[in-house]
Amino acid sequence: MMTLIVPIAANNSEYASKLPRPFRIDDEGTMLCVKAITGLPMDEIKDIYYVILREHDERFMLSEQLAMQFRRHRLDNAHVTVLDEPTGSQAETVAQAIKINGIEGLVFIKDADCYFSTDEILPQNGVSIYPLENLPIVDPQHKSYVAVDDMFYVTNIIEKRVVSHFFSAGGYCFEDAQEFCRYYERLKDYSPLYLSHIIYAMLLDKKIFRPILIDDYQDWAVTHVNQ
Amino acid sequence: MKLDIQGHSGCDIAIVHEDNELFIHKSTHDAGYVPRLVNQANKQIAASRIEYQNIRVPKIFDVAQSDTSAVIKMEYIYSRNFIEHFEQAGFEQIKYLIGAIKYFIDLEIANSKMQTVPSSILTDKMADVARKVEKNIHLKDDDEAQELVRQSTVVMNGVGDMVMPVGMCHGDLTFSNILFNGNNYYLIDFLDSFIESPLLDIVKIRQDTAYLWSTLMYHKPFDKVRLSIISEKIDTAIDEYFTGKYEWYRKYYMPLQLMNFLRILQYGKEDKVIAYLKRVIAGQLAIINQPKTA
Repeated sequence: MMTLIVPIAANNSEYASKLPRPFRIDDEGTMLCVKAITGLPMDEIKDIYYVILREHDERFMLSEQLAMQFRRHRLDNAHVTVLDEPTGSQAETVAQAIKINGIEGLVFIKDADCYFSTDEILPQNGVSIYPLENLPIVDPQHKSYVAVDDMFYVTNIIEKRVVSHFFSAGGYCFEDAQEFCRYYERLKDYSPLYLSHIIYAMLLDKKIFRPILIDDYQDWAVTHVNQ
Repeated sequence: MKLDIQGHSGCDIAIVHEDNELFIHKSTHDAGYVPRLVNQANKQIAASRIEYQNIRVPKIFDVAQSDTSAVIKMEYIYSRNFIEHFEQAGFEQIKYLIGAIKYFIDLEIANSKMQTVPSSILTDKMADVARKVEKNIHLKDDDEAQELVRQSTVVMNGVGDMVMPVGMCHGDLTFSNILFNGNNYYLIDFLDSFIESPLLDIVKIRQDTAYLWSTLMYHKPFDKVRLSIISEKIDTAIDEYFTGKYEWYRKYYMPLQLMNFLRILQYGKEDKVIAYLKRVIAGQLAIINQPKTA
């Protein structure tokens, strides 16, 4: 069983007056950040933590809205962690969520601004990948790319440089939450720090990552950009 | 056809297209630099005769020399610079590079002999640095720089005679003097060194891996975080490897790295670079002067 973390605590200047995109509601009445996890195998997940900013929570009453969404989607194991201050990176948001909630063991981090489905997530380090050519609309500079070898081991992950036709689809699995935090502590002074940097540092230390092949990828950030 | 490109050794570099082949012409018209460039060419010719694992040395086809000029004609290497290589290198390529650096320096050590380097080499060099800093218009009124030189002089005076391998070294083994072609690494810009020791090559490569020196000269955008992570990985691997193997490395690496940065500082011009160098040197002095634990 794994813990799922959905980090949404960046203080994007775009959100100074607007509702952050992951909290918007789709045509079926589902909040995008909730829809973002509905393609995951829920029977493998013990707890779900949405990590949000107090500023956003107070302005848009997000805790209440999320609680209603959890009830509607029968996500009885979902919780909201509210951070007082914006974080400098997604990695920091995750590290804080792990620390605050005492999370141990396997964690899966899911981006809130995209959707994919997968039947199984193995209890090992992994990165969700999707082939670039399957996308009708591509925004290549806002993605990280994942190189895999013939036996499907991850050999490289890089921001904004097309080194592979697989891009990182916004799902990351770490078999040990505390190990993730140790790498975050080591790298936290670097900026801008991406999860891909943490994974690359782990690869350099011979940690093994496998690709998680996913289906039905939807990138709401690109959809928004092109609307 | 001739295409001039920017070099960083003070020489003119041109890519020359002859009979459907590309060559590099490295030249100087500074009479004082002619013997040095010819020595560098001879060093490169000698290095190119040795078989290295993964490491290559561009062939030199001709050395034309007069009293006032010299031109070296050498092999053109299709390659990428270290930043472009690291931007796209998977973890296994970094592992190969670490292995190649260790292998190259171990081979230099095997081709060198343990010798006593007299303390005067270091103290004379330090006195020379102090004179140049005193004359440098960007540094002579800089109290912080003068204090760093004073503290460094104390350090150098305390090093004494050094026993280390002497005989073979590249002389300027920074990342900017390595051309990357897949998992082959081409060494260029061989240079005479004030001590011809492999230890000076470790000092130079760690000038980049520990202190990211060459990135200061790179002006295109790149992923600094990724490069720092890679540099730290390579640096730790090199440091652990040589720390575990050689007493001379453990004893003399830090004072020689300090001397290396002082020798860069003495020619400092840009405020940004001088500030960086002073920060590095102050950090090195703090490490050298920290009390030894039992």
